[in-house]
Amino acid sequence: MVASPIRPLPSLPAELRANLPAELRGLRRDGVRLMVIDRTAQSIRHARLAELGSFLRAGDLLVVNRSRTIPAAVAARRSNGEIVQLRLCVRHAEEWHVLCVNPDPPHANVALRVGERLSVAGTDTVVRGRRADLPLLWRIDALSEGIERMLRSGEPIRYSYVPEPVPLSHYETVYANEPGSAETPSAGRSLSWELLLDLRRQGIDLSDILLHTGLSSLQDDAVDAEHPLFEEWFAVPPNAAQAVNRVPRVIAVGTTVVRALETAAGHDGHARAMEGWTRLRLGPGSPLRVVDGLLTGFHEPQASHFDLLRAFLAEPLLDRAYREAIAERYLWHEFGDLCLIL
Amino acid sequence: MGDLEATRLAGKVALITGASHGLGRALAIAFAREGAALALCARRAPALDEVASAVARLGADVLAVQADMRSARDLARLVAVTLDRFHRVDILVNNASELGPTPLPYLADYPPAAFDDVLQVNVTAPFRLTQALIGGMLLRNHGVVINVTSDAAITGYPGWGAYAVSKAALEGLTRTWIAELAGTGVRMYAVDPGDMDTDMHRAAMPDADPCELARPDDVARAFIQLVASPEPAPVGQRVEAAAFGR
Repeated sequence: MVASPIRPLPSLPAELRANLPAELRGLRRDGVRLMVIDRTAQSIRHARLAELGSFLRAGDLLVVNRSRTIPAAVAARRSNGEIVQLRLCVRHAEEWHVLCVNPDPPHANVALRVGERLSVAGTDTVVRGRRADLPLLWRIDALSEGIERMLRSGEPIRYSYVPEPVPLSHYETVYANEPGSAETPSAGRSLSWELLLDLRRQGIDLSDILLHTGLSSLQDDAVDAEHPLFEEWFAVPPNAAQAVNRVPRVIAVGTTVVRALETAAGHDGHARAMEGWTRLRLGPGSPLRVVDGLLTGFHEPQASHFDLLRAFLAEPLLDRAYREAIAERYLWHEFGDLCLIL
Repeated sequence: MGDLEATRLAGKVALITGASHGLGRALAIAFAREGAALALCARRAPALDEVASAVARLGADVLAVQADMRSARDLARLVAVTLDRFHRVDILVNNASELGPTPLPYLADYPPAAFDDVLQVNVTAPFRLTQALIGGMLLRNHGVVINVTSDAAITGYPGWGAYAVSKAALEGLTRTWIAELAGTGVRMYAVDPGDMDTDMHRAAMPDADPCELARPDDVARAFIQLVASPEPAPVGQRVEAAAFGR
């Protein structure tokens, strides 16, 4: 998940926010750096993602999120002629939950009127009301033809540290399948097929789940600081559940994979095939029933991402890792460097 | 074709580009007869809708997407709506082709913008579509990509300019990708359907005798052989439809 650019670590210099994907910075996708945190040895090592195989063993299973990023920011015209930007967060069959912001930076929230009509990508929708639990999210009628409209005129959601538009394909993982994520499942964005096929030859298998991500920021510092939680659609297919239950060590590629697999995990420590909406919140002390390791990005301690990391790492090691990431000038956010927790 | 051979593609999802006319249309109908679910695309909606209705009448689950192969946004939309509807693509047929201006000019006389158009439709679009769909195929370790080529790729006929160049490039793309897919369950082919009785062939060679040309329906049967065959054709070879399956 992508962190919002709010309340940055005092010690996080602006130039450590990756403002372009690696492959547009003169590197390869898998040319990003990799910090390897070994919980048993309490050690931190520095490497490149392309060397991932040297930290894994034959028999390990990498699980990726195959959800495809959609251009989830779309312009809408209000009945008074005002242009706003809608950011699709949750897509139910009949009703979408969207953030409504000013189309220009810093994209402050705009209040809509219940019952008002919006014109979006050549079709009309009606504002049904606010979400009771997250009033910044507006409930609107699902667009006719679904995400087809978003694909015709939407743009990828882009935060302030990415100054210029980046083509949609760079927001997609190389294994992207069904569309539905508002933001890139970014830990896997840096993986290349060259690396994944090498790992497969090394005996490290690959499996996939689906989780359509929502928004990482509601463009409101106070709300974001409370780590708003909303439902995300996920599917753990039977072959993924079987693979997870068969191997000695499961490495989740991204926190979305942790959320999906742990939602599908039973108290017996086994994953079962399952699909639906997950509202699972993971934090310090949360049991990890099926996931043994995590490949993830660097996001700010204020982001909910950090809460989930506390399920993997005790506070002293987490603290040390993040201080070292800043000292070693790792790049942050969805186009940044990665961290492997074993 | 007997009933025993029918529905060899039941449960499969195929995406066919350039499905409104000629070989693409024949492929859509042949794949539908074999039980495949179909995503069809073409630039012109009315002709595409006519083909979509025809395959729907054959019982196929079909999605028709109007798309311009020169537009990266259209290609991304085609991929996304197809996967939103069917959740996967098992077979991709990069069939849409642009011949270029007719009567066919010499390269020395070729309009540069038309050259770019032909390369975009015949090379860049197959690259982009394949790249966008092959990730899912590699996750499932299963899938077939067919790039429709031409003997113009290897012969050097005067006047076939950008088209010949584009098909040579498409065959190069196919060879490289086949090498990179070695050891996976994903197969790729460049298939030369031969000279067929189609609108495109009439535009290129108005004086050709239709009796000497293959019928697209017959050629489509060879494609079915290829995708339904458990024996993959050898790596690095271009496949001539006339050589098998008729």
